Amino acid sequence: MLFNSLHFLLFFPIVTILFYLLKHKWRWILLFIASTYFYSAFYLPYILILYAIIIVDYFCGLLIEKQEGKLKLFWLLFSIISNIGLLAYFKYFNFFIDIFHVFVPQKLHHLDILLPIGLSFHTFQSLSYTIEVYKGNQKAEKHLGYFANYVLFFPQMVAGPIEKYSTLGNELRAKHKFKYKNISNGLRLILYGLFVKMCIADNLAPLVNEFYLNPTHYYSSSAWIALIAFSIQIYADFYGYSTIAIGAARILGINLMDNFKQPYFAISFYQFWQKWHISLTTWFRNYVFFPLGGSYVNAFRWVFNILLVFSLSGFWHGANYTFIIWGFLHGLFYLLEKGLVKFYPETIRQNTVFKFLGANITFILVTLIWVFFRAENFDKAILVLNQCFTYSFDASLNLKISFELVSMLVIFFLIEIAIFNTRFDYFFKNSHVIFRWTGYIILIISLLLFSGIQSFQFIYFQF
Amino acid sequence: MKKLFYKLCILLPVFVFCLLTTNYCYVKYYYWSNAEAIDAKLLFTQDSLENCSDVLYYAESSNATAANNDTCLQSISQMIDSLSPLKVNSVDHGAIHARTFLQLIKNLKSDSKVKTIIVTLNSRSFGSPWINSHLETNIAQANVMYEPNLPIFKRIKLSFNGYDNKSIQLRDQDLEKDWSSVKLNVPESFPYKTVRQWDNAMANGTYLLPNGEWDMPKITLACHYIKTYAFPIDVNTNPRIQDFDEIVSIAKQKNLKLIFHLLAENMQYADSLVGKELVNIMHQNKQLLIERYHKHGVTVVNSFELVNGLDFIDQNWTTEHYNQTGRLALAENVLKYLK
Repeated sequence: MLFNSLHFLLFFPIVTILFYLLKHKWRWILLFIASTYFYSAFYLPYILILYAIIIVDYFCGLLIEKQEGKLKLFWLLFSIISNIGLLAYFKYFNFFIDIFHVFVPQKLHHLDILLPIGLSFHTFQSLSYTIEVYKGNQKAEKHLGYFANYVLFFPQMVAGPIEKYSTLGNELRAKHKFKYKNISNGLRLILYGLFVKMCIADNLAPLVNEFYLNPTHYYSSSAWIALIAFSIQIYADFYGYSTIAIGAARILGINLMDNFKQPYFAISFYQFWQKWHISLTTWFRNYVFFPLGGSYVNAFRWVFNILLVFSLSGFWHGANYTFIIWGFLHGLFYLLEKGLVKFYPETIRQNTVFKFLGANITFILVTLIWVFFRAENFDKAILVLNQCFTYSFDASLNLKISFELVSMLVIFFLIEIAIFNTRFDYFFKNSHVIFRWTGYIILIISLLLFSGIQSFQFIYFQF
Repeated sequence: MKKLFYKLCILLPVFVFCLLTTNYCYVKYYYWSNAEAIDAKLLFTQDSLENCSDVLYYAESSNATAANNDTCLQSISQMIDSLSPLKVNSVDHGAIHARTFLQLIKNLKSDSKVKTIIVTLNSRSFGSPWINSHLETNIAQANVMYEPNLPIFKRIKLSFNGYDNKSIQLRDQDLEKDWSSVKLNVPESFPYKTVRQWDNAMANGTYLLPNGEWDMPKITLACHYIKTYAFPIDVNTNPRIQDFDEIVSIAKQKNLKLIFHLLAENMQYADSLVGKELVNIMHQNKQLLIERYHKHGVTVVNSFELVNGLDFIDQNWTTEHYNQTGRLALAENVLKYLK
């Protein structure tokens, strides 16, 4: 089920009303049924995959806690292999077959199956639980229903934020009373999330798609517009989804972590990754980077670790070389930045001009690197980048941006500046009533009149 | 809880006021451009025609597609118009089907001059390939614009995915499921019970060239005929049946004379390429449709076998596109029932 659907607009109020009408001890059943229904609306059979993950990790958690030594490690490995195995089969099988074909002439058939929506998210979330139990930081959950809800919780099940059991698990267990504050804050976030997704991302998508279809037909100015448009589109798409997810959970009294903190205002790559897809960055840091030795290794190993973690994070997004290149380039620029920063004393780094330049350079580089994320293959990515910097004789087209779209972008930009270092719900809750309601009306009218007439699925659903 | 209730009491009227104001602005500035953007222009076509037509002819591309060597480029509806004393106009668009016709007919005003409507009954549109076509999302989107609702509601429905917008992958999967699991109405002795079995058998070198190689173009076309026409119509679940049934009841409500025009299919090619089993299935479906709608009191013009195989424009594909000879034959056939 999509958040930006009439289906969800009907489903969610019903779930909310039932949630608060039911006694606490029965709520987990409601959430389980609601989450199952929510996921089944995409494609019913794949709910079985989620159930399999739940069963495996639930029992692995119990066994890891109970066992010692090698058996304990065995059950952790069993959980990891099961989860990664599922991912490998559904998401990476065809990619590995392609690699296999490079070395072996024997032809193997590709799998012709649908990728379960959000598989990378729930496998990673579920894995984090068994790893934490293994490390002794988390007690194994005895109640299968609560654990199932941790993996299935519908607001965040298909595109995160990827939560730890210590936070979401406890939130799901806690007794939540009806609070007006939660409802109003949650609704604010849902309104803003819908605006960001439907008025910004969905309006930019046709522009970007048009350009990527035939990049050589457009002037370099249009190429730059398309690249920047994609930067904003992917942010708005994912940020919009996360904001709605946080808002929906908040209405049920459940707090989810923030996944974005205005990443395009970051003054460096280091800061960018502290602000972009925070839950995934945290996951990779905790479960890949630290076990590899983190920063407590020699310089050569550290560089290797950084590049490996960024490349893996790229590969997590999709089974294509382009995603690996995207991740690798982020790692490379991260390292370059770490090297260069030593040449600038702290006083210069704190200078406003330095920060301004840093933010712009970071944005431009991130925008250029997004090309590898968006392009279907490496050749197309190079073609697009080439188009930005060279004059093409084939070019005869300009991308047209409507006045309405520009207005939406201006509103979005102003709001993002206003809520810098805070969040939409906190900011508007504390603002003057007239200002607040003017803001709501502008957002609602924008949604009614200027949301994308064509709806595009959330980009991150495919991951 | 009380606070929320009071707020809702104040907010609801404000919301309704905002909605109506927004609706006004939407109609004034964006409605038409939105309709154009999603290719839902038939709404304006019908609006402009319903007060100057006695008959409206609802059709897909079969109406107006002409062959390159046609000397007469008139559409079927134009031919009917020129042969009949009545003023006949068409509301047509490529790839649409009964669901679109239904929404458009719902929009016909009560004081409209139109007294008769002719709706093409395309037997192919009852099959899984058309029902699960990749174009279905776009058609469903345009259909939202044709619904008889307040324009701003249509806009909300479009923005909030209030239409069938299944992904291409899911549509392909549904199609494949139908092809592999739906049992065909074939004799016991016939070895292939599903489209997939039949298609596989046909694809495995049924037609050979004199040099012993596979005649791929012929095999491809034969397979395509099987996949397109080999299907049973389940009257309880087929969405097109539901659409046509609803058209019947809407026409009755609006006191319109309703004519279904059962379009011609290339039976000769179906027979020569695939064989009598496919022809039988096509006949079963034709018979089912004619009998069903006769029972509902609808005039069904049967043009199913009226057009010669060579008068189909697309010789290498299955369409209802006819050259001028074919179009004229169909127009004359319809004309008999208009008198």
